[in-house]
Order: sequence, then structure tokens, then C-alpha cells
Amino acid sequence: MTEKTIPEKASLETSVSANPIPAKPQPRITPWAAPLWEACAQGKLSLPYCSQCEASFYYPRQWCPQCFNQDLSWLELSGRGKVYSFSVVHQSPLPSYQDDVPYVLAIIELEEGPRMMTNILNCDVDKVRVDMPVEVTFEERGDMTIPQFQPLK
Amino acid sequence: MAHSVAIAAVSEMKPGRYPDMSGYDLYLEVVRQFLAEWSIKPGDIQGLLACPSGMAEGGSNDIFVHEQLYEELGIHPLFADTMNAGGSTYGLMVQRAALAIKQGIADSVLCIGAGKFPKVGAGGAESMARMISHEIYEFPYGTFIPAIYAQVASRHMFEYGTTPEQFAEVAVSSREWALKNPAAAMYGTESLSVAKVRESRPIATPFHLYDCSIPLEGGAAILVTSPATARRFTSQPAYLLGMGEYHSHRNIHQAPSLTDVGCNKAGQQAYRSAGLGPGDMDFAQIYDAFSVNPLVFMEELELCPKGRGGEFFQSGASRPGGDFPVNTYGGLLSFGHTGDASGMSMIVEGARQIMGIAGERQLDKADIGLVHSYGGMMSEHSTLIFGR
Repeated sequence: MTEKTIPEKASLETSVSANPIPAKPQPRITPWAAPLWEACAQGKLSLPYCSQCEASFYYPRQWCPQCFNQDLSWLELSGRGKVYSFSVVHQSPLPSYQDDVPYVLAIIELEEGPRMMTNILNCDVDKVRVDMPVEVTFEERGDMTIPQFQPLK
Repeated sequence: MAHSVAIAAVSEMKPGRYPDMSGYDLYLEVVRQFLAEWSIKPGDIQGLLACPSGMAEGGSNDIFVHEQLYEELGIHPLFADTMNAGGSTYGLMVQRAALAIKQGIADSVLCIGAGKFPKVGAGGAESMARMISHEIYEFPYGTFIPAIYAQVASRHMFEYGTTPEQFAEVAVSSREWALKNPAAAMYGTESLSVAKVRESRPIATPFHLYDCSIPLEGGAAILVTSPATARRFTSQPAYLLGMGEYHSHRNIHQAPSLTDVGCNKAGQQAYRSAGLGPGDMDFAQIYDAFSVNPLVFMEELELCPKGRGGEFFQSGASRPGGDFPVNTYGGLLSFGHTGDASGMSMIVEGARQIMGIAGERQLDKADIGLVHSYGGMMSEHSTLIFGR
């Protein structure tokens, strides 16, 4: 039974300096995706929205992948969704994840449709199921905030 | 497209660890073995397709490998390229070669591949994860290749009630075939059982160690020619009766569905171009990086009903003596996964069965067979139909 918690920013920094385990990878920020990361820093999940298709999409692109419309806006989403599929990883591929084993690698489907790769945090890994309701949570990753998911409270 | 293009000759190295050989050294060894096995002269190779051999080592700069190879061979091709579509590279090479031959650009095209595979525990898993997942939107979450395939398995279990034991049956079946193939990595070992698979080390639920292919190194060569040229080398070429390809996604979270990843569209095109249907196939060779692949792709290729792949493998039909043999050389699960060259093995075996040169594992009925390979995370697909 392994309880996963989001490390506080301070404790993450402490563990990096006290431990040879490298920091987890930080996403690279592209200019057209900057609003995603800015919203995450404020505790919100916001994705590009195409008014022609009336649809949000992930990941951010400079055009709508359904109609090539480049006149896009950003829309805050509910942050709720379901586990589309998952696996509990018992052998970590990354040195930076070795202390997290076993951890959950999941694809979640948001209420609004888009799917995202994520971890499922703050729950017993043995309790994760396909179709389980989840909600967004946020993890401090270096100087960034990244979206993660946890069971819907 | 009946009988307008044929496989004239095939050769494959025994999968193994070749620590003293670079990816390019492996290429030269593939060529040496191929020339030793078949009486091919320089004029018999009018085209050359090769694949970068160092991708699985975490990046490669040998994007000009075809240039080095044709110079080393001493030939001046009318058609040549270095191309890469992961595991589907070689299926697509055969398709590109077939188009060139039908167009009259070249009468024969040598498709060739060699591959290294980094050790998973020595940083290999990380470099591979970096290569196959989205740098920004996937990799930071600790992506791991077995876990991505395991997500496909978990979804299949949810939608159709498939069990981990049914995935294990795929590995059991492949091992039975490998025990009949002296070139297979697991030749000379023991049969597997569902219990042995389930008792092996857990990797990423629902997969245990024996649900995963064996990372090794090797390579192979396939000579694609016009039918007349093929008959100079063999009395029974493997004719290319149909082919299809489809490119669905790159990153697994972008797949339209985890139980319909694009394999069906390649298969449909192959059946259409052959004027044949799934019921006409005598066997299938299906790319199996993990035990889940043949189970799901049997369904997508309409070789068994949707959701019944688990029952198919549980029935024993895929094993030696079964009604519909699958991966008769042992599959990547028990023959070995040769990194960048892994997409060669199932084509080589499909051709050998049709040519009647598959040794102890030669099928009684091998008139028409299907070979499916894919690249990336079940991203892009190639289906070939071979016949006599």
C-alpha cells in the first residue's frame, strides 16, 4: 500500500540536495503553450479552444488539429475527467522516478473530451481503475507547475 | 496486385548481444551472411533501402547509411534511401520497393536493417522513453515503454473482460514456436506456462517480465524483385499479393482509441489490394513487442471477432499444430527483439513459410499469409499479404 503525496516545493529542493536522485524532468515551454503553464501556476487547467469546432484540444498547437483554424482562444476547463487507461509501474525507467515506484502512469479523458498523459497522485496505486473519476491537481516541478490528477473528492 | 512483385531471398542474423559491433558493423555482417547464403551478384541489386541503426542507442547520426552501404557493396543503385518508421520500417520498405518495381524504376531492391538495443537497466529505458514519448506532454510523467503497452492491455481488459492470463497465453504460444527455431534466442530452453509468466517479475501492470520481448541485437536482409528475377533465385518466391499502410498518431495519448490504433485500416487496404479476406489467410506473423499486441491485432485484422482475442490465444489455435498459427518463428517475445531491426523478423518468417524453407516449423498449409508490423507506440502500421 503506497500513499502518493505531492512534495512541497521546499521539501523537493531539500531532497534534491540531500540525495543523488536527479530532479524530475521539467516540460519545455513553447511560446504558443505559455498560457497553459501560466494557468497551472494559478491552480487552473486551461487549454486552447477552437470556436469553429467548439472544442478544446490538448496538447497546445498553433492551429486547431480538426480544422486548421489559427484564431484560437484559451478556455478554463472543469479539471474533472475519468481514467481512460493506466498501468502501475513497478520498474522505473527514470532515475528521477525511482523513489516513486510503484507509481501510476495513466491517460485521463477530460469531461470536455481531450486526453492527457498523467500520473495519478494522492491515492493507493492498487485502487486505480479504468473509468475512475479524477480531478486535476498541481505539482511543483522545479520553477514550474505541472498538471497532475487525483481521485475526485 | 497479384504476382507483380516477389520476395526472392531473405537472410537474418541470430539475435544476440554483439558488444564489439557497432550498428554499422552489424549491417556489414548482415550483408556478409546474405551474400554467403544466396548467390547474388552486384548486378542483381538495383535498389537499396536501409534504416538508421543506432536509434535504440539513444540517437543516431547514420542517416546516410544507404550511401555507405551501396558504396561498400560496390553498386550504383537506381533507387535508394535511408528511411525510418520504427518497427514498421521494413514493412514499409517492402511497400516502397514494390512501388518502385511496379513503376519500372528498379527491378530489384535490397531492403536491409541492423539494430542495437541498449540494456534496459543501463539507461536504455530512459533513452527509449525519451525517444518514444512526447518530450513536453508525456516524458515528464515518467513514461516507460512497457507501461504504455500495459495501458492498451488495461483498456482491453476494461472493454472486453480480457484477463492477464490471456495475455500470458500469447507468450506461451510464442515460446512453443521458438523451441522449434534454432535461430531463436529461447531455442533450447523450456516451455512457458501461464503460471510461469504470471510469477515472473512484475514490470508494469498487468505485465510481468515474460509479457515483454527480449532486447537483443541483430539484423536481416530481404531482396524484393520482379517475379521473373525472383525465379532466378528460388523455385518458390513469396509473391506480394497485397499491402496497406496507415499512420494514426505519434504519442499514445493522441491515439483515437487504445483498442483501435489504426492496424485495421492498414489491414483493410491490404485485403482490398489482394482481393482476399481474413478467412483466406493460413497464418499471421504479427509484431509483438509485448504480449498484448498479437491479441489486439488479431481482432483489428479481423482474424478473430472483436473482443475475442483472449479466447483465441487461450484456445491454443496459434500454437504448433493449431488451426491458425501465429508468430511461427517465436515472435519478438521468444525469438528476440533486435532493436532498430525488429520489424524485419516477422517479414523474413512470413516469406520463409511461403517459400517452404522454414525448417522444423514449416507449416503444412502456407499458401497465403499475413505479416503485420507497426512503428512507434502502435502509431504507424504496415500489412503485407504473401502468397504462392
